[in-house]
Amino acid sequence: MKTGIFNKSTSRFFLQAIIVFAVFMSLLLLWEAISFFGILNPSLISRPSEIFLDMWKLFLKRSPAAQSVLLVHIYSSLYRLFLAFSLAAGVGISLGILMGYSQRIHWFLEPLITLAMPVPGIAWAPIFMIWFGFGDPTIISVGALAAFFPIVYNTTTGVRSIEKEFIWAARSMGADRKTIFFKVLLPSSAPYIFTGFKLGLARGWRTIIAVEMIAASLWGLGFMIFDARDYLRPSIIYGGIIILAVVYLFIEGLVKLVERRTIAKWGMVRPEAM
Amino acid sequence: MDFKVRLSRFLRFLFPLAVCLAVWELLAFFDILNPNLVSSPSRIIWKMYELVFPNPILLVYLGRSLYRLALGYALGAVFGISLGILMGMNRYLYWIASPVLSLLISIPTIAWVPLFLFTVGIGDETILLAIFLGCFFAIVYNTMNGIRSIKKELIWASQIMGADRKIIFLEVLLPGASVSIITGLRLAVGYSWRALVGAEMLASISGGIGRMIYAARAFNDVNTMFTGLIIIAVGGLLIDHLVLGWLEKKTIEKWGMVKKRE
Repeated sequence: MKTGIFNKSTSRFFLQAIIVFAVFMSLLLLWEAISFFGILNPSLISRPSEIFLDMWKLFLKRSPAAQSVLLVHIYSSLYRLFLAFSLAAGVGISLGILMGYSQRIHWFLEPLITLAMPVPGIAWAPIFMIWFGFGDPTIISVGALAAFFPIVYNTTTGVRSIEKEFIWAARSMGADRKTIFFKVLLPSSAPYIFTGFKLGLARGWRTIIAVEMIAASLWGLGFMIFDARDYLRPSIIYGGIIILAVVYLFIEGLVKLVERRTIAKWGMVRPEAM
Repeated sequence: MDFKVRLSRFLRFLFPLAVCLAVWELLAFFDILNPNLVSSPSRIIWKMYELVFPNPILLVYLGRSLYRLALGYALGAVFGISLGILMGMNRYLYWIASPVLSLLISIPTIAWVPLFLFTVGIGDETILLAIFLGCFFAIVYNTMNGIRSIKKELIWASQIMGADRKIIFLEVLLPGASVSIITGLRLAVGYSWRALVGAEMLASISGGIGRMIYAARAFNDVNTMFTGLIIIAVGGLLIDHLVLGWLEKKTIEKWGMVKKRE
């Protein structure tokens, strides 16, 4: 994603950062001013200052285990995302490689994946709740299921898009199956797998937040937002939404960093796929 | 494409599904799967029948969901394309709006639902707003990128040849951005479908497919839940392939801007 207004040099980067900062500050100020003059109904739309204060209070508030309540919410969601994503990546890559290797497995599984992939993760949630009840098992498994599809799909595409000539060339130079797998197949499908990771991570995150709203017990950002509705605390909802955005941007930044260190360093970036 | 080729491709697509359904049915038939936890194909079909005759509640729900989807999506498309074009053409608007957009785009749509429940209340308005937001950002983003990616030289060339603003807009900018706009529209269908299901679960008072699944949980009614799930899967696939495939074929494929899809 190209967010840059300029992409040339550092001074331009700073100029861009200043513009972004200025835009956000002036919008927040505008919002604050409008609320201050009582144009917006305060029980529906909170002021930025109030949101910030309430988030700060939530940060200082201690949970029974003497940890910051806000941080535990964030941590719970991230922990679920981590587990769900690891599960999805493990199963997705293995199955994707199998599907890429074997025409028969591909033929058999592809229709199932085509049919199940567009189903929104949250649609599975009620069924998983019947199987696993409220709490982590449901949230993590639905999140893993949602993240699984893009990973398996992209891995399969990656393995299948390898040119046969490469494999023939390696074989004629005396490479055995293991070498071909590690030195030809895996590296050349790595960019696809990485695209799958990105999509899976985004999907998993979204699904986990959604499932937390209907199946969480006590912790998680989705739960925090949904719970605040019951207590008529709009500022926590607004704050929660902002935190969701910031946490996600942070995850995205981390992914970009990993990408730069691995795929890009190996010279294997391919055009952005949505 | 030849009818026979299409048919054989369709059958080849269907065959693995049929095998899976048969195995599933057998497992359920011999009570290997717990009927309280997992449905079976025959029970799903029976459930569908029950939900349509004599009282076509399933169709009513589906109709309501599709109506919400169509309305929210249409709103998102109209406003999204307009704002996207404005942001693509006006540099200052782009500077102001694009940081806000990249922040908002990273928020899961479902996170807005509690806020809407709070501000506009439970019901159709909340669901509509969720669908609108679900597709709006993808459409704005893609439209804007489409317009911005048009080469300045093309605009200069048409200016030199005496085109006025209106002609440049209609004959250069819009066609040039159309691939990107349609990509956005296509992505947005998936997003709004997702937003619909999620928002209906949390905010519907008058039915809908998402609501149906969610409400069935309270009665441990796995058959209804699986029925809903299958309708969501097939519906999503049909909307994407039929409606948008058709749109693509009629527009950008015909104009020769992308290669034909297999």
